[in-house]
Amino acid sequence: MTALLEVANLNKHFGGLHAVKNVSLTVERGEVVGILGPNGAGKTTVYNLLTGFIAPDAGARIVFQGTSVLGLAPYRIAASGISRTFQLCRPFVGLSVLENVIVGALGSRGADGADLEARARKLLAQVGLAGKEGVPVEVLSYGDQRRLEIARALAARPALLLLDEPFAGLGSSEIADLSALIRRVHAEEGLTVVLIEHKLREFMRLVDRVVALDFGEIIAAGSPEEIVRHPAVIEAYIGRDDGATSSEASHAA
Amino acid sequence: MFTRPVDVAGAAVFVAVMALLPLVFPSNYLIGVLTVSVLYGIWAITWDFMSGLTGRENFGHALFIGVGAYTAGFMNTTFGINGWWSLPASMVMAVLFALLIGLPTLRLKGPYFALAMLSGSVIMQRLMLIFWEQTGGEEGLNGLTPLIKSQIGFYYFALATLVAITVLLLALARSHFGLILRAIRGDEATCQAAGINVTFYKIASLVISAAFAGAGGAMYAHYQLQVSPQLFAVVTSITIITMVYVGGMASIYGPVGGAILLVLLTELLRNFGEWRLMIYSCALILILFFLPGGLVAPTWRRIRAALTARRLAAAVPVSREPST
Repeated sequence: MTALLEVANLNKHFGGLHAVKNVSLTVERGEVVGILGPNGAGKTTVYNLLTGFIAPDAGARIVFQGTSVLGLAPYRIAASGISRTFQLCRPFVGLSVLENVIVGALGSRGADGADLEARARKLLAQVGLAGKEGVPVEVLSYGDQRRLEIARALAARPALLLLDEPFAGLGSSEIADLSALIRRVHAEEGLTVVLIEHKLREFMRLVDRVVALDFGEIIAAGSPEEIVRHPAVIEAYIGRDDGATSSEASHAA
Repeated sequence: MFTRPVDVAGAAVFVAVMALLPLVFPSNYLIGVLTVSVLYGIWAITWDFMSGLTGRENFGHALFIGVGAYTAGFMNTTFGINGWWSLPASMVMAVLFALLIGLPTLRLKGPYFALAMLSGSVIMQRLMLIFWEQTGGEEGLNGLTPLIKSQIGFYYFALATLVAITVLLLALARSHFGLILRAIRGDEATCQAAGINVTFYKIASLVISAAFAGAGGAMYAHYQLQVSPQLFAVVTSITIITMVYVGGMASIYGPVGGAILLVLLTELLRNFGEWRLMIYSCALILILFFLPGGLVAPTWRRIRAALTARRLAAAVPVSREPST
């Protein structure tokens, strides 16, 4: 069986800045992959390239479910089964929580058949927003907005869910809840998930495999345990120090 | 949201009052004012459907009105075609202009669409003067035949058209189509991430808006029995936007009330002549400042809440008593 997502030779220059360098990665069906990297490593740019929000430099290859999605408009890529969330929550302002989730289903395969409203309510219950359906989205707390983003993204019935720093700005109890939620949708729906994070802690227990980025380049890939000990990752996070020991590496985690 | 009996009742009362006014106070002057207010209602509601729902302001709605009116004018006076054909033809012409401006500018972010609409209407006004041999220049085209001979008959036709357009646009606004338009106002990038072709929906809503605004323009031409470059005036566009703000943006039904209120206000301010625009602008500023949700739609929501509360209170007391 072919991989769900195959990316090769992904490059992006912003003027003189080589923001993404020769990124190649493969995501298998059912995996939970983490993209790790310090701020400014190019993680979000990779998402923007994958989802068509930014066009990559010539020579890239992005194949999703066996077809190239390179050069397609963002809405077409989304409709083909890649749902994403944004680093800063971007809900549909002016709509209710329930309407936000319904809109999430309208653009793609999610709109087929079944009662959209009932499904949206179910998704909201799943992410822990039951009882807030009629609330205007502007008054939600930040943590609830994150949950809503995920419900909105799931409404499209994606084959691949791209989460951009889903834990940013959350307290530790909220992080625990949210990663339980991600684990649950992964387990229940067999969903393939890729998530970006620059902190390692929660992430490590959540993902099967980590791809570490720094300065737009893949510096390491492997299991979470391998990554925390990887010298290049340690260097990216706490700088080069010849006396660096593994105890410091676990401290970074 | 608007399928509740109380909304239907409110709409019925409104239509009944509008229909009975000229019968209770029979005067050609009143019928004239009401006809103009109803036509402005069509323009305000069509503006609100596109710009109110998607949040992409259109500063040149007069373009569609003028194009519709001149289409009617040319067909009726130059080619002598029966006025009823003007209605579909003006819709088609207005849609062509909507595509001409919408296709290149609605895919862009930023103020390009608003500016293109504004300049489009100004350019058309100029062109009507430049090609005066065909368009009649400042005088415009005169001698259109009325669609309906009796003044009150035409008023009822305009009122029925307004009601039909309102029902249609409200139904669209309440459908998934309208939900997507409101989502575009909320966040375009998230719409794209949800697989929604944002450009298509913006252009589609502009096309619908333009079609009915153009038909309104043709009706106006056949009411005034003449068309002039003044139809493309920026003042017309600003007046319509003011009506929408007064009515309550994105409510669809509110702008109808806003249009009627402001046309009546204009009549009351007739003596102020050129100062009218100043007064409109002040009204817009005051409303933006003190009533950001507008006047008409929020007022109706309050009335509705009061009516519903009273009915609930009347229905509930039996079950309430035991607890006291």
